[in-house]
Amino acid sequence: MEDKNQEVLLRVENLCQYFGPTKAVDGVSFDIKKGEVFGLVGESGCGKTTTGRSIIKIYDITSGNIYFENQRICAGTGSYKLAIENAKAEAKKAVKELDEDSKKNPSNADANNKKKAEIKANLDKTIAENKAQIKSAVFDHKNCDKEYSKKLVAEVNERYKKAMAEAGNDSAKLAELKKKYKDELRVAKNTRLITKIQMIFQDPIASLNPRMTVREIIAEGLVINGIRDKEFIDEKVYEILEMVGLVREHAGRYPHEFSGGQRQRIGIARSVIMRPDLLIADEPISALDVSIQAQVINLLNDLREKLGLTILFIAHDLSVVKYFSDRIGVMYFGNMVELASSDELFAHPLHPYTRSLLSAIPLPDPDAEKNRVRITYNPIAEHDYTVDKPSMREVVPGHFVYCNDAEEARYREELGK
Amino acid sequence: MDKILEVKNLKVSFRTQGGTVKAVRDISFDLERGKTLAIVGESGSGKSVTSKAILGILAGNSIIEGGEILYDGKDLLSITEDEMYKIRGDKISMIFQDPLSSLNPIVKIGRQITEAMLLKNKANRKEARNEFNSLLKILKSNMIAAQGSGSEAEITEMVKTFDGFATLSTKLEMPYNDAMANAEEIKASVEDLLFMVEKKQNPDVREKLTDYVLMLQKVQNEFIEDEHAAKLTELLDKCKKEKDSYPKKAQENVTLSASLEKLLNDTVKLMDDIINQPRPNFFRIGYYKLKGKDCSIKGKGVEKLNEEALAFLNDNFMNHFLELEDNGIRYSFENALENKKKLLPKLEGAKKYYEGSFTKAEAKSYAKTLADLVPASIDQLEINKDSVAYTFRTSLNKAIDKYFSAQKTNPKEEARFAKQSAKREKLIAKGKNVDWKVVPKSVYDLDELKNNIIHVVTRLEDKYKAEIAAAENFDVEARGIEIVDFFKAKASQVVYKVTKAMAKEKAIKLMEEVGIHEPRRRYNQYPFEFSGGMRQRIVIAIALAANPDILICDEPTTALDVTIQAQILELINQLKVERNLSVIFITHDLGVVANMADEIAVMYAGKIVEYGTAQDIFYDPRHPYTWALLSSMPDLDTSDKLDAIPGTPPNMIYPPVGDAFADRNKYAMKIDFEKQPPMFKISDTHMAATWLLHPNAPKVEIPKIITDRIARMKQKSAGGEI
Repeated sequence: MEDKNQEVLLRVENLCQYFGPTKAVDGVSFDIKKGEVFGLVGESGCGKTTTGRSIIKIYDITSGNIYFENQRICAGTGSYKLAIENAKAEAKKAVKELDEDSKKNPSNADANNKKKAEIKANLDKTIAENKAQIKSAVFDHKNCDKEYSKKLVAEVNERYKKAMAEAGNDSAKLAELKKKYKDELRVAKNTRLITKIQMIFQDPIASLNPRMTVREIIAEGLVINGIRDKEFIDEKVYEILEMVGLVREHAGRYPHEFSGGQRQRIGIARSVIMRPDLLIADEPISALDVSIQAQVINLLNDLREKLGLTILFIAHDLSVVKYFSDRIGVMYFGNMVELASSDELFAHPLHPYTRSLLSAIPLPDPDAEKNRVRITYNPIAEHDYTVDKPSMREVVPGHFVYCNDAEEARYREELGK
Repeated sequence: MDKILEVKNLKVSFRTQGGTVKAVRDISFDLERGKTLAIVGESGSGKSVTSKAILGILAGNSIIEGGEILYDGKDLLSITEDEMYKIRGDKISMIFQDPLSSLNPIVKIGRQITEAMLLKNKANRKEARNEFNSLLKILKSNMIAAQGSGSEAEITEMVKTFDGFATLSTKLEMPYNDAMANAEEIKASVEDLLFMVEKKQNPDVREKLTDYVLMLQKVQNEFIEDEHAAKLTELLDKCKKEKDSYPKKAQENVTLSASLEKLLNDTVKLMDDIINQPRPNFFRIGYYKLKGKDCSIKGKGVEKLNEEALAFLNDNFMNHFLELEDNGIRYSFENALENKKKLLPKLEGAKKYYEGSFTKAEAKSYAKTLADLVPASIDQLEINKDSVAYTFRTSLNKAIDKYFSAQKTNPKEEARFAKQSAKREKLIAKGKNVDWKVVPKSVYDLDELKNNIIHVVTRLEDKYKAEIAAAENFDVEARGIEIVDFFKAKASQVVYKVTKAMAKEKAIKLMEEVGIHEPRRRYNQYPFEFSGGMRQRIVIAIALAANPDILICDEPTTALDVTIQAQILELINQLKVERNLSVIFITHDLGVVANMADEIAVMYAGKIVEYGTAQDIFYDPRHPYTWALLSSMPDLDTSDKLDAIPGTPPNMIYPPVGDAFADRNKYAMKIDFEKQPPMFKISDTHMAATWLLHPNAPKVEIPKIITDRIARMKQKSAGGEI
């Protein structure tokens, strides 16, 4: 099984993403460890794509925190704001009660006033605390990239100071160094932490600009980063093209000249050229033919080994997720309902939704198919959460289920058998 | 085995700027009644083109280069658009790939479901009348011939009577149907009103009640049972009174008084009763009335009237008529049989003739004389038209035309190929960079085309031989009942008028059937208000609205996720059993078809490369492409590297000379690049087109990943655990 001490690359804490009244993602937490493939499954509309997009900061999250390499990259303020509101409402209610009490029994007025002052002080404290949190969240959310580039700039500065000192009075060498320094400084200034996370999109046709050549598409990230050396860029593009199974000659063509599988390869090349640590693959194979799906999956597997990638793999095809992922999270209506290593999840599915999902997988076996019984999931009939509230619990090491006390006991018993 | 649809040697190409794309290259398959045929292949393999060719909805730049699609005695490729219009949607229906783009975004889904029902109804009524008349005419002539010429006057009289009371019955039936339609309309409308009040949508109650009064008057009919009729008048009076107590304009916060609520509920109940009352058998009553009997149901009830009329009809007319009819049927059948026997040696002769040499004019005139003999050998009283004999003339002519046109074009094609190849070689010899290919020559095999002509004849011969052998088992009475039922069905189709309200009720029933909750509310919603799975259900409901025989599903679940996919597949399976549908299921995912398909055709580059039952394809695949498809998809136990199929499908402007899959096939042999493999028969149900099945081919093992999986599956099913 996986190493417990493995370094965590991405940590998602209580991620909430609301669009108006719609709670697309509602309190999802998980870790992605360095070098693993983390699969995210669930039916359409359950929030798996939203989770991916929130991580890469396409949306501003409502509340929760996302840490990447121990640096907070996303932070929502919703929970703190809600805490302030709640505290205010509570204080108001308490003060009102005290006021009424004072009216009825004037003798208690003094004591009540004292209590009131106490409540106010407490309220102020809570507000101040939460406001500080909001400030820090907003700061991190906005400035994590700046901080990162500052760090890089400092590094570059230091390196070149040394080099220049070594060069001494050799003016030719010095001039060359200065030029290099300028270039690197520009790149460092433009680099953002978020470029370490890249995304592959679902629809290879819609996600490539039809008016850009493949070279332009793939090199766009480098150009934005401030690299101006055309030869260097071309070389990089060719290298990546060959890495994803295309050839040099393809660089000058336009996306419409490629087949679906090749287009998806271009999408992968575009994301890999930035040498990301984390790749978010949002249904990268759903729009492809079965035969091409296998090509893309194999390619991702190769790249993962070659570049040491960590992948967040979002898909609804369970057989593929099972094959490709180390750990799998199952989402249902904005919640994570089960999280376990892929073998464990398929061997011992605990949550009824996971079971219904697994029972729906079509198998290439006519005899078994004729007898397959699909389990339907009805959350209202399945759970009684009126008293006993559910939360994410670790039923066995590494296997988390969203359940309440009674269910947890039942699951443990089932696993014990 | 009862074939409902036969596709024979279909070839379809598309003209494009780059050249002619050969999308479908000579495919043949049969669809049996009540079965599912799955067509599996990558995009661009021609599976959707095949289905569109069946429906006659190919794009404008398509060329049908040859082949036949036989359905109900017609070749769908050679009939007119008017005839196709009657079949498309009504008899053969389609579920499209993308539910979002196959629904109109600015039309409410209720209207989209009822659209076809309302549109097609008028045409169907006219059609039914024609079919009724033509079959009656044939029956009459046969009856006269069977009885001898002396009986002509009597039979003419009888047929006239039959036609007379059948028509009269439709005249009685029409107002009754109207009344029933109105009853349904009132029921729907009242339910709508109650629903609107409950949801606080503030309906105009007075206007509605005025409508009800008008409609209730239309429900009154002489064939409504006495008790219902009495209640109906009572309701009508109450309604008239009640409406005056409501203000003239729509108001906020409408509430219904207790009395009105009771009235409305009573109305719904009464309408239900009326709709469900026993239906008068107008066919019998028509005769009853024709003979001047009193056919009112007052004090009698519908059922009693039905019985009386039946006895009267049988005694005075029907028994005798049936007797004569049976004679006619027997005569027609035996006559046709005799002609068939006579035709057989002629067909034998035709086979010899077409083996020899002939000019086009000769062949055509020979074909004409031969084809002229065929109609006499067809039993015109058959209700289910058999495709082979009916389409003999067009098939034969097509085959001959093809042969002679190939004789003409072949030399041209050879010349073109030689010229272009020479040019290319010349350029290469000069050391120039040539970036274009020579389009491979597409010459026809003349021998094969000649065989095709003979095959058309053999097909008919085989069919007739089988029929002659089975002639002893012919059941005259069953046929007689079949024909009378046909007349009855057509007569009531003539008067079956679909009103908007009936269409709505039917649509709501359909929506319930395909699993949409609260259909009455959702009837008035737009497509964007539905989720992907629900939208696909709507598309299925539209496809089923006309009660088709054949349902073509073109990747119906590709855009959906696993749970929804499983639901839709289950739905299609269930509807198939309920409605005895025959399904053509098109997909690129072999995993999906395992529980759907009875038979599977694997397509690659416009050809069927393997054909067999689901068992054959999954447990004993033979073609390397099928292996590749099976091994490139992971299942839950796969852990090795996936066997991806390298490369992409060939460009069909330049279809490969040999086996189209050879380039991507690691088992390809030299001959695969040179010559197209024929279909090798493995068992009665299983065929594959690969040279590996040739007796001289080297032995090749099925990839381990598949054998492992099959072993695993067998083990599982033996263990009874899944």
